[in-house]
Amino acid sequence: MLQAVQFPIRERLQTAIYAVVLVALTTFGVAIIIHFTNVRHISIVYIVPVLVAAIRWGVTEAIIAALCAIASAAFFFYAPIYDLRVHDPLQILDLILFLTVAITTGHFATRLRIEADRANRREREIGALYAFARRLASARDAAGIYDAIQQHLTLLVGRSVLLFGPVTTESEALARCTALRVPPQVSDSVLSALRRGGNSGVGTVTQDGDGQTWLVRPVSAQSPEFGVIAIDLGTRSRTETEKIGKDIDALLIDAAATLQRLGLERTISEARSRTDAEALRDALLGSVSHELRTPLAAILGATTTIAGAPQIKADPRLAGLANVAREESERLNHDIDNLLHATRISSEGVHAKFEWSELADIVNAAVERRRARLKDHEVEVRVAPDLSLVYVDSVLVEQALGQILDNAAKYSPPGSAIEVLAKRTGHDVTIAVSDRGAGFSAEERSRAGERFFRGKRHASSITGAGLGLWIAQSFIAANAGHLEIESAGADCGSRVLMHLPVGEDVVPAANAWSETDA
Amino acid sequence: MSAQHPPVILVIDDEAQIRRFLRAGLELDGYTVHEAESGQTGLRIATMRSIDLVILDLAMPDMDGSDVLERLRSWSNVPVIVLSVRSSEDEKVRLLELGADDYVVKPFGMAELLARAKAALRRHRRGESGESVITIEHLTIDFAARRVTANGKRLSLTPKEYRVLQILAQHAGKVVTHQRLLSEVWGQWHVHDTHYLRIFVRKLRQKIETDATKPRILLTELGVGYRLAVPMDVAP
Repeated sequence: MLQAVQFPIRERLQTAIYAVVLVALTTFGVAIIIHFTNVRHISIVYIVPVLVAAIRWGVTEAIIAALCAIASAAFFFYAPIYDLRVHDPLQILDLILFLTVAITTGHFATRLRIEADRANRREREIGALYAFARRLASARDAAGIYDAIQQHLTLLVGRSVLLFGPVTTESEALARCTALRVPPQVSDSVLSALRRGGNSGVGTVTQDGDGQTWLVRPVSAQSPEFGVIAIDLGTRSRTETEKIGKDIDALLIDAAATLQRLGLERTISEARSRTDAEALRDALLGSVSHELRTPLAAILGATTTIAGAPQIKADPRLAGLANVAREESERLNHDIDNLLHATRISSEGVHAKFEWSELADIVNAAVERRRARLKDHEVEVRVAPDLSLVYVDSVLVEQALGQILDNAAKYSPPGSAIEVLAKRTGHDVTIAVSDRGAGFSAEERSRAGERFFRGKRHASSITGAGLGLWIAQSFIAANAGHLEIESAGADCGSRVLMHLPVGEDVVPAANAWSETDA
Repeated sequence: MSAQHPPVILVIDDEAQIRRFLRAGLELDGYTVHEAESGQTGLRIATMRSIDLVILDLAMPDMDGSDVLERLRSWSNVPVIVLSVRSSEDEKVRLLELGADDYVVKPFGMAELLARAKAALRRHRRGESGESVITIEHLTIDFAARRVTANGKRLSLTPKEYRVLQILAQHAGKVVTHQRLLSEVWGQWHVHDTHYLRIFVRKLRQKIETDATKPRILLTELGVGYRLAVPMDVAP
């Protein structure tokens, strides 16, 4: 916290000017009094600006005011007028009086002000501590406690406080450190604290390259699950650092006790093993899907060959069976593709390869590729002819649109219309897919983007893994766009909108690059 | 396909199950099939026999499929269809640049492969006969006269528009990569300026297509390049 008397230079200059102005005003006032009355010994009035300066601003300003006051009095009011020289011993007495008042009052006033500031600060600290204690007492979950810790420490230290809560993996911690531009020395000690867990006991003090001090310590010495905290202490003396360190210790002991009271240790370690289990499931899905593709290539090839053979086509019963085999292996292939997409999204993330693309090309490709699936529906495609190019990964957007078309075909009755409309809306281009099918109930709509979510009413009638919309959403998000679902309710049809941002217009550049350089 | 000389197809794949259904499907469609279970054997057969089309699996234990393709291309221009489990656009571009005629992602249906094989063979025959006029839908391109007509009406194309159309028409039915179009028409320095190509193709489509937003002649292969639709056959 700032010391009350240590104003920065600019402010001091300002207060010194105020003091001079105050004296000038007094001089003006005295001149008026002398003009209208016959009072002679007036210089004592100058004690007023000196006192005001001493009480308000401090010793230096008071001395400046005193000197200015004597100078003004000598110049304007003591004989000979308009002469700075001092002749009368009474005037010398005035000078001494003013200076004494300035120095003693100034000192008293400064001390008082420091005391008042200190009291104010203490009151604020105690208030904050109470608020913190209240929040701890009323916290129902870990998130509440962590919020409270972070807020309170930020208030206490006045600088940034980073909390790496439970189940923070090393890569997450590193990503956060990089995002917040935390110095490398500090992120190193955060990582090693996360690795060691709480057994390291007290925290470490780390200096970064710019001479700033950071305190890195586990939230709880007993329970490593509670995470690690890193606090930027700025440039402080060793004693100050130690004092703040003690305050933080006291605070974290309370917080850790509350965390323990809520029995969060178990919850947190459960959450952690759940994350592990999800990673394992993704790895399994990935490898199983790959393993399945090899035999599936032979199965799909063989069934399509059989279904196409003239001998089989000649017998309607066999042709029917062959078609069942073909259709089912195609569906299986499609499902495995989706599983592979899904595992790729969650293990590697989606990496878009941006290039300027023609939206009509993307829409046409998606519809063309799903032609077989859409054969029982009346598909109408309309793309606004003057659409600007979009800066996207055309393959990802095509796959996202394909997923939405698959859904439209799957959840709407044969013979019904599916409409694909691409146009500009404000700062976006939008591809909207409308169908007259099962639609979304309010609950389904709110959960539609979740991985593996499927509406209960479709569970027995329509097969699926609940991945389509999730994949579409991930792919569109990777292109800086978003999905929107509109539906009047169950069985009222639906409209799924893919919003993609429009990049800057490239048409002028292309025109500049003219035909003449042929 | 004339009955006397059924086209001969060489299948190079290390997986016996894949070779089996390929042979059955292709023979049912009237082709003669040779099989090779490795890249080395495949190359040997290709030198000894007269082959009309090669179907080549990319992943083989003895040598990489793209090496086989490169070796084959050093002395033969026989059409090659590549089979791959990787469905990445970069991979497609790489193989097309190496001289593959087409690219099919495993698993695939037999009908799709047959259609691709037929198109590749037809393209090859047309290339050898050196036709000077081709017709696609309502569009006719006369290479000798440098004349392009739509529904009998002559179109005025800029030199670059004609050049783009010409390159695509010479490989009609086959994908020409963005990089190739850009470097052949605009020069090496512009191989990454895909957005210029997009604007250009849009203008060209407005001239040659009935509805530029639903092209039927100048088709897009997303992330790879462009191709012209398969021309109507003048003679079978």
